[in-house]
Amino acid sequence: MIYLLRRFAFYVAAFFVALTFNFFIPRLMPGDPSARIIASFQGRLNEAQIDAIRQSYGLTGSLWEQYLTYMGSVFRLDFGISTVQFPEPTASLLFYGATWTLVLVGLAVFFAFIIGSMMGIHAAWNRGGFFDSFFTPINVMMNAFTPAIVALLLFYAFSLQLQWFPLGRAHSTEIMPGFTFLFIGNVLYHATLPVLSIFLVSFGGWHLGMRNVMINLLNEDFVILARAKGLSDRRVRYRYVARNAILPQITALALSIGFLLGGALVTEQVFNYPGLGKFTFTAIGSRDYSFIQGQLLLLTASVLVANMLSDIANVILDPRLRT
Amino acid sequence: MCSDRALIEVRNLTVDYVGEHSVVRAVHGIDFDIMEGEAFGLAGESGCGKSTVAFALARLTRLPGLVSGGQVRLNGEDVLKFNKARLKAYRWNEVSFVFQSAMNALNPVISVAEQIMDVIETHEPSLGSDGARARAVELFELVGIPPARLDDYPHQFSGGMRQRICIAIALALKPKLIIMDEPTTALDVVVQRDIIEQIVELKTELGFSVLFITHDLGLMIEFCDRIGIMYSGELVEVAPAEAILTDPQHPYTRALGNSFPPLTGARVRLEGISGTPPDLRSLPEGCRFAPRCPHAMERCRLEAPELRFYPTSQSEAACHLLN
Repeated sequence: MIYLLRRFAFYVAAFFVALTFNFFIPRLMPGDPSARIIASFQGRLNEAQIDAIRQSYGLTGSLWEQYLTYMGSVFRLDFGISTVQFPEPTASLLFYGATWTLVLVGLAVFFAFIIGSMMGIHAAWNRGGFFDSFFTPINVMMNAFTPAIVALLLFYAFSLQLQWFPLGRAHSTEIMPGFTFLFIGNVLYHATLPVLSIFLVSFGGWHLGMRNVMINLLNEDFVILARAKGLSDRRVRYRYVARNAILPQITALALSIGFLLGGALVTEQVFNYPGLGKFTFTAIGSRDYSFIQGQLLLLTASVLVANMLSDIANVILDPRLRT
Repeated sequence: MCSDRALIEVRNLTVDYVGEHSVVRAVHGIDFDIMEGEAFGLAGESGCGKSTVAFALARLTRLPGLVSGGQVRLNGEDVLKFNKARLKAYRWNEVSFVFQSAMNALNPVISVAEQIMDVIETHEPSLGSDGARARAVELFELVGIPPARLDDYPHQFSGGMRQRICIAIALALKPKLIIMDEPTTALDVVVQRDIIEQIVELKTELGFSVLFITHDLGLMIEFCDRIGIMYSGELVEVAPAEAILTDPQHPYTRALGNSFPPLTGARVRLEGISGTPPDLRSLPEGCRFAPRCPHAMERCRLEAPELRFYPTSQSEAACHLLN
């Protein structure tokens, strides 16, 4: 418990540091976010109007005042107004994009982790056998592909040429969003290729990681003892070996979240999927500061939350941390 | 306490380690018996094949290890020819194991109760989980650990307690033979003494046989009825325990005895044994100990001696000097 509280305090502190960086870095760049909007009115604004715009972006007052305003608005989940999709609030855009990214990355990570780990368990248990010598090199090779190439190949083959899958969007416009089988099925249909492309480049990593940890554990005394006890193969494999091998995998899973969210950026771009990545791409191109800031913050928060979840999972799975 | 009926008869047991380009014979055709209720010790330098013999007896040899010849008979049945079902019953119902390192012999992430109960439930499913639990409580009492601690995890116990738990697990199905591969090496001397006394007590009470392996010759002489001395994969002498120091037949046994400091009496200069054991990939032609033996004759370098029984000393030895 104390361990978890300590970790939690660390994450809170880390989040504050990230918030502070997030505030200062854009302000170190030349030009301020409101300049673009003001410029777009081509001098047709008076002083009061300019001040009002600057104020709405929290750009008035001393740096310290601005910082406090910024911190306050973050805690009200107010990330300002998007400049590209003016006057849409950034928070609602972020929320919309994050939902779809979560669908993509969530499904891909889920399948990659489960399937990759199962393959790793199987490969390690029959080390040097056909399964191991065939799939281990292939999966490692798959892992070396970049998301962009796999996404483009899948898109070209299955969306453009064979036309088995749609060319974009998260769901068809004809179907009413809601918790219906029709809608969920449609979402999954649209998500298939993007999920598959993230899955294909990441499951090999889980395969390899699980296999290596398993093989190291196979020579541990407690595994030899478990075999000597005449326990069933299954029980030794899962309850004694895999149960221990999963611990470092869970930590690795948390560490990979940031990387995966970054990777989703390219995938969403290729499949024209309305996730965070796609919005970020547009936002960078048009200097939508409030969106970029909000997105960075969300990315930081999700990495921290993922790490915290892995800490909690580790405490649940590893009695040695529970003292 | 030890009868004349042999429980285990090892005949011409040969174990190889198979490499990419070479085969190394780690155990070279050894013969010995373990009587019912007897404590039989195997001693020798590191790498002489003691543990390899123990593993072969429990049918735990795994690649690159390979039992390439000979027999291990349990009450006349050849253990090495057991099918899967018979092997499952053999492991733990008839033979159990206590490992060297109590630190690693228990699965760190599951409770000790589960580690005792799983072996009982696997072999005696009719007991059910309540019956298995009741047996686990008995076993904890037997080795002197409060049963209230059954649901604790391995890291919550001291080294000595963990070794007691390992002994409790070994006793779970009242086996006929317990193989103890350096059961006290990782413990400090005071705890060592406790553990050994406990094993002696349990052995008298329950009447199992023990195959005892250790580097600690003093401890072994005290605990065992008979001792086999191994050198470079061969048994060079099998003698009553007390004769190992007082009446050694083989020069290696004598040298081994001289390498241990006496606790009482005048200080003497320890001799040790000059040289190193032979490389198993290029063994000498005759007696394997000849290159290090102070009494080696011409014949020793040409012809390997056989293990023979010498009625005068009541021991078996393999040495040309004795003929």
